[in-house]
Amino acid sequence: MSRPNVGIFGLTGCAGDQLVILNCEDRFLHIIAALNIRDFAMASSDNDSACDLDLAIVEGAVLSRRDEEQLERIRARSRILVAIGTCAVWGGIAAMDGDTDRSQLVRDIYGECGEQFDTTPARALHEIVGVDLNISGCPIEEEEFLSGISNLLNGDLPIAPTTPVCAECKMREYNCLLTERVDMCLGPLTLGGCNARCPGLSIGCVGCRGPVDDANLESVTALFMENGFGREDIARKLRTFAGLRVVAHTLSEDES
Amino acid sequence: MHQQTETTLHRSVVRENPYQPHMARIVRVYNMVADNYLFTLRFVDEQIAGTFTHRPGQFIMLSLPGTGEAPISISSSPSRPGVLELCVRRVGRVTNALYRCRTNDLVAIRGPYGNGFPMEELMGKNVLLVAGGLGIAPLRSLLWYAIDNRGRFENITVMYGARTPQDMLFRDELVSLVGRTDLTCLLTVDEDPGGDWKGHIGLLPQLFDYLAIRPERTCAAVCGPPVVYRFILKRLLDLGFTKDRILMSLERRMRCGVGKCGHCSVGYKYTCIHGPIFTYWDAINLPEMI
Amino acid sequence: MKILKLEKGKLDLFASVVQQFGEVHAPTEHEGKFSFKRLNSWSEARLDYNRTVLPPRKYFLPPRETLFKYREATGYVPATEDLEKRVVLFGVHACDIHALNILDEVFGKGYLDPYYLTRRKNITIIGIDCTPDEHCFCRSMRADFAETGFDLFLKDIGDHYLTFVGTARGDDMVIATGPLFSEVTHSDIVEYKRRSSQKCDTFKLDLEIRDLPEIFELEYQADIWEELGEKCLSCGNCSMVCPTCYCYDVADEVKLGSHDGDRVRLWDSCLFATHALVAGGENFRKTRSSRIKFRFYHKQRGFVAEYGRPSCVGCGRCIEACPVGINIVGVINRLRGVEHASTD
Repeated sequence: MSRPNVGIFGLTGCAGDQLVILNCEDRFLHIIAALNIRDFAMASSDNDSACDLDLAIVEGAVLSRRDEEQLERIRARSRILVAIGTCAVWGGIAAMDGDTDRSQLVRDIYGECGEQFDTTPARALHEIVGVDLNISGCPIEEEEFLSGISNLLNGDLPIAPTTPVCAECKMREYNCLLTERVDMCLGPLTLGGCNARCPGLSIGCVGCRGPVDDANLESVTALFMENGFGREDIARKLRTFAGLRVVAHTLSEDES
Repeated sequence: MHQQTETTLHRSVVRENPYQPHMARIVRVYNMVADNYLFTLRFVDEQIAGTFTHRPGQFIMLSLPGTGEAPISISSSPSRPGVLELCVRRVGRVTNALYRCRTNDLVAIRGPYGNGFPMEELMGKNVLLVAGGLGIAPLRSLLWYAIDNRGRFENITVMYGARTPQDMLFRDELVSLVGRTDLTCLLTVDEDPGGDWKGHIGLLPQLFDYLAIRPERTCAAVCGPPVVYRFILKRLLDLGFTKDRILMSLERRMRCGVGKCGHCSVGYKYTCIHGPIFTYWDAINLPEMI
Repeated sequence: MKILKLEKGKLDLFASVVQQFGEVHAPTEHEGKFSFKRLNSWSEARLDYNRTVLPPRKYFLPPRETLFKYREATGYVPATEDLEKRVVLFGVHACDIHALNILDEVFGKGYLDPYYLTRRKNITIIGIDCTPDEHCFCRSMRADFAETGFDLFLKDIGDHYLTFVGTARGDDMVIATGPLFSEVTHSDIVEYKRRSSQKCDTFKLDLEIRDLPEIFELEYQADIWEELGEKCLSCGNCSMVCPTCYCYDVADEVKLGSHDGDRVRLWDSCLFATHALVAGGENFRKTRSSRIKFRFYHKQRGFVAEYGRPSCVGCGRCIEACPVGINIVGVINRLRGVEHASTD
C-alpha cells in the first residue's frame, strides 16, 4: 500500500482535535508509517504548503474570510477532505449564537475598533466546500479517528456511527441521569462513539458530538420541562454545541 | 464429561460455524451496464468449489476483507456448477469495494441462504418470470435452471423491462433467447434514446398484451423495484392468479443471513430464512413487506 | 427432580465451594442500581436485588465480540478467546432464566450459533427467588417460575433455601459441597407452598397474553402507535436492557495500513433509525412510530408465531429504563381496552 500524501490543518478552533492526533502516542508511529504527512503546521516547521494531497484533515469552524480562503485552497489541492471535530462538522461552540448580528457582537466586545476585524458567522466546513467524511466530537475520539483513517486507506468510507449516547451508556450499566431526573442529559439526542464518557462520570451528556439521526427534540424538551427545568435553561443547553441548535432551528422552521 | 462437551462446542466455532466465510477468487469481471457488473467467482478450496450448490432464488453473503459483508443474490443456475455469478449494482460499502477488485482478487463467501424458489411446486407447471431492472438478478438463476431442465416444466415465459436498452442487464443473452421456440422471451424498454432498440418500447405491463396465460396452470415469479410490484401484481390478480401462485423476491437489510441478527425481520418472518422468496399471500399478510 | 435444602447461614460456604466451577459473578450494587459483576468477595453479592441494569444476556451475547480475525495469509479465522471461560452466575431470577431459554430458541435452533452455545455450556446458572416490585409482570408472561435452564435454583423458605437441581453439573456442585445440603422435610414443603401463593398476590402489574397476536393484528393501525412514535426517543434503552432482545450488527474493523482486521458483532436496536436501511437507501422502517410498533409487534406477536410464546418475560427493565415513561403493560392494556389501576 503506498503512503498517501496528507495535510492536517486547523481553522478557527482550540486545536484540540489535532492534539488528539498527536496524542495517539505509540499509535502515532503507525499513523506516520501509513501516511506521508506533508503539511501539518501544528507538528512540523517543514511543510509543503502547495503539494497535491490525497487526504486533507481539517479541524475548526470557518469564522473569517481568511478561514474560508484557506479552506478553499485546501479543498482545491486535496482528493479527500475530512472534517474533524464538532466545530468543523457542525460549527461548534462558535455557532451557538449564529443568529446574532456579527457586527453588533464585535462592537459590543471590542468597541469601535472591532469593526476592522475579519469575522463572519461560524460555519461548518460542509457549508462552504464538499466534505467527504465528517468525524464529530469535542474533541474527536482517537479510536474513531484511527478507524476512519484505516477505512479510507482500505478504500472505504467509514461506517457512520448511528448509535445514540444512551445505548452506549446502558451497555456500560451507568446509572441513567434521565430516569433519575437529576440532569438535562442529552444522551438520547446525541450521536454516540464516546462510550458515554460524561454520563459515566455522572455528568449529563452535553451533546458535543452532534445530533443522532431522527433526534426527537420535542419529546426530550417536554421531558426536561416535566422534570422541572425551565425553557430558557433547556434552550441554552441545546444550543451549546451547534449541532443541536441546527436541529432545533430546523424544527422551528417546520412549525412555522 | 463436561470437559468433553466443551471441547466439542469449541470445535463447533472452528468447524461448524455458520458465519464462516470461505475464500473465493474473482475469475471474471464483466461490465454489463454502467454500475452494474457481473462477477464470476470460484471457491479457492476445490472441495467447496466442487460441492457447492444452491436453489434458484437463494443468496450468499459476500465478504470483502476489511470492508464487510453484504447479501447478494445468485444469478447463475445450479445446473451450471463450478462457479457463481453475481450481478451486482454498485450501491453500498461492500459493492463499492467489490468494484475495485480485479480478476484474480480474493473475496469471501458463505451460504447459500434463504428458501429459494419452491422448485417442486414449479415443476410440471407453466413458469412466468417477470422482472424489472435489477430484478432479473435472482430470476436469471431460475430461468437457466428451467432451460437446462426443459422437460420438467411446461411453458416458460420471461418478461423483462429495463429503462433503456443501455440499462438492460444480460442483454445479449436475453436477446438471443427471443427467437427460441422452446420458450417465450419478451423484452421491453421504457424509452430508447439511442434509437437502436429493435424490440418493444413501452412499460413492462404492456408485455401481457402479447400472450395468453392460463393462470390455473402457471406460477409467476416477480422481481423488481416497488413500481414493478405495484403494476404487475395487480395485472396478475386480474388475470386470475391466486395469491400463492405469485412468488416474489424481496430485499432487506441483512447482517447474518441465518435468522439471528434481526435486521431483515418483517412482521413475524425473517427475509433471510423464510424468504427472500415469498408468495404474494405472505406479502400482504406481513406488515410493511411491500 | 432432585430437591435438597441449604441452610441460609452456609450460603457463603457454598459460594466458596462453587468457585471451583468457574469465576463467580453475582448482582452487586452501585448507587441503588444492580449489575452482575465478578465478585471480589462474597460480601459484595446482593441476592436481595430487584433487577440488574443489564440482564445476564451480556454474558452470552456480549455488547461487542470478535467473531473472526482476517489475515491475508489465513483468511477468516474464528475468534475463540474467552469462549472457554467458565463462569458461575449466582443469583439469576426466574424471568432472566426464561429469557435465556428464549434466546436458546433463537441461537440454538436452525443455524446454530456456536459462540452463544459455547458460552451457554460454559456458564453455570444458579437461580434465586425474588420479590416482585412495581415494574414486575413476569407472572402475566408465564415467566415467574423456571422449570429448566438452570443448574441450581434456590427458593427461600425462611432459614433455608430449597435447592432444585436442574442439571448434572448442578448435582456435581451439590456433591462437591457435601454435608451442606440436607433432605427436605414435610414442613419445608408446606412453607414453600405458603410463600409461593403469597408471592402470587404481590404483583402490582397484570396483563393478559391470551390472544395477544389477534389483538395486535386488529390494532395494527391504531392511533397509539403514532402517539408512541411522537414520544419515543429512539434511544434504544429498552432494547439494551431487554433480556431477550438479540438484534446485532456486524462490522469489519480494519487495521491501519492493511486489509487485516477483525469482524465484530455489536448490539443493535430496532429503534435506531438505520435498523432497516438497505444499501440502496431504502429504509423500510423510516418513522419512529413504525419502529416502536415493530418492537412491540415482534415481541408480542411475531415471536408467538415463530416460537409459540411472546419473547417478553415481564422483567420490567424496559419500563424502568425508558426516559419518557413508555410502559409495555400500559400499552398492551390500552390495546386491549383494559384499564389497569397501576399501569398509567
